Amino acid sequence: MKFFRIMAISRRVFRDLANDKRSLAMLFIAPIFAMCVFGVAFSGDVEGVNVIIVNQDQGFTPPFSGETTYLSKEIINNLNTTILNIQNMNNIDEARLIVEKGQASAVIIFPEDFSKNAILKSQNQSYPSNSEIIIEGDDSITNIKNAISKSVNQALSDTLIENGVTPAIKVTSDPIYGEDADFIDFFVPGILAFVVYLLTTIITLITFVGERSNGTLERVMASPVTEGEVVTGYAITFGTMGVIQVALLLSIAILVFNVMVVGNVLLAFLAVAILAITCQALGILLSSLAKRPEQAIQFLPFVILPAFLLSGVFWPLQAIPEWLRPFSYLVPPTYAVDACRAVMLKGWGIDKIWPDILALVIFALFFLILAVWTLKRGKK
Amino acid sequence: MTLENEYAIITHHITKKFKDFIAVKDLNLKVKKGEIYGLLGPNGAGKTTIIKMLASISNPTHGEARVLGEKIPDGDIASKIGYMPQETGVYLGLTVDQNMKFYGRIFNIEKEEMEKREDELLKFVDLEDWKNEMVENLSGGMKHRLSLACTLIHKPELLFLDEPTVGVDPELRISFWKYFNQLRENGVTILITTHYMDEARHCDRIGFMQKGTLIAEDAPSKLLQDTGKDSLEDAFLEIAQKDDRKKVVT
Repeated sequence: MKFFRIMAISRRVFRDLANDKRSLAMLFIAPIFAMCVFGVAFSGDVEGVNVIIVNQDQGFTPPFSGETTYLSKEIINNLNTTILNIQNMNNIDEARLIVEKGQASAVIIFPEDFSKNAILKSQNQSYPSNSEIIIEGDDSITNIKNAISKSVNQALSDTLIENGVTPAIKVTSDPIYGEDADFIDFFVPGILAFVVYLLTTIITLITFVGERSNGTLERVMASPVTEGEVVTGYAITFGTMGVIQVALLLSIAILVFNVMVVGNVLLAFLAVAILAITCQALGILLSSLAKRPEQAIQFLPFVILPAFLLSGVFWPLQAIPEWLRPFSYLVPPTYAVDACRAVMLKGWGIDKIWPDILALVIFALFFLILAVWTLKRGKK
Repeated sequence: MTLENEYAIITHHITKKFKDFIAVKDLNLKVKKGEIYGLLGPNGAGKTTIIKMLASISNPTHGEARVLGEKIPDGDIASKIGYMPQETGVYLGLTVDQNMKFYGRIFNIEKEEMEKREDELLKFVDLEDWKNEMVENLSGGMKHRLSLACTLIHKPELLFLDEPTVGVDPELRISFWKYFNQLRENGVTILITTHYMDEARHCDRIGFMQKGTLIAEDAPSKLLQDTGKDSLEDAFLEIAQKDDRKKVVT
């Protein structure tokens, strides 16, 4: 593999893009358009959200009565277990750590005097202490934050109706991540990855079908250029284009939509660049199945729909039916979306997003090898 | 002199199959160094498939072949050959200059040398005034001229030209052949396919192809003499019919 030949190919693809002002404009205008058009609230039904309950409630035993009431237990029993996957723990710090690691979305805390304060306050409004349920969560994904909050409030309301009491209980939210995050904050990291995935795959697919049909690929293959050099040349171009697209989109997201960026955006660039490399290899792979550009267009639904539905761009993975969720992990944008969101909203570093980056690298290598293999197979 | 020194191309029973279809069958072909060898035949006769195998773009299914002394497809011949595909094989989204530079770069030609060769070749194919024009704006014939210039940028020893004169006007076709003859005089070997029977007269030798088989080969004048025909077209038809009758009897 020779660097000068890889660079010749990469430079040629850049030139091709630079000369075609309309396609170049599409590369940059389409993502902006997509962000604006799709920038509306999508909401799926969230299910299976991991939460940890730390119940420190000591209950309340009224004077002259031996029966202790645990309002917290009743509220917990009324929580919707379709929406919430509940794990019980005793230690708040350990529970917080699990949320910080991203293994659960929130800790729901019932303090020691929860039942006592609730019942005494309901009997006497001047009672000085309030009763509260504290939700310490990852608020960066608004759909999930809302689902947890809604479930807790619903369970609380059901419990009060069942008991026929109206104790003053406050649900307090104390975000671990994503304080003040809006839907657009959740949405933008996803759309970054999605747009790069879509445009890179489609443009490589159509460009490469053109290379095959107009004889340029054959001519290049008859020269000292190897299949690996062709694929790497394309990868350099589209990896770079992916980074430029993300930089452009991020600038608009920050300047126009005031999107939250807590972490190091370079990590988001890295994730999207690897995704772009994966996608160009995928485009080359798909191009081997199409003889004409019109045939290439037929692949679009197969490129767009899985990423649209499964990668968590528009709704969190928890909102995808459980049986379908394993397929999400077979779609490369899932990892880029997750990495971008973790970096931008939670401020996570490489120490925490490395599994996503590793998955993307594995996908990239897998598709690059397959793309080279496809080109070699064309000789047979 | 060994065979490999004398011949630029030697094939030994090469066959190319696409599933059940045999595109080239049991071909034995020898092309001398410094000669222009023309492959003639109808569409689907296997001419392009032969060129693709010899240029290492497509692997033979059976048989062996040596090109410039190297066994294909594994031999290191890529920098010594020039391949001009039937489709123009130029990038429509680049300018004439950018196409030339790209093909020069993949052969690692130095910048100054590349400028010199580019100017010479563009002058030859009469595209010097179109250097900065986008290829998509050129006519079909101009694209073919550019394609030829790109094929020659690295001064190959052996040229595979697949229908190089399709869409080229008669005047320019004559200059193409003049240039091919010049190249031959400089020791370049050319394997060419063409539909224009009159052009085939310029070749040192021609091979008639039918249904993947080489049915006759010789110098054009000898083929005309042997068949007693006035044109190569008639000579081809005569030989092709004889070959068909022979197969029916067999």
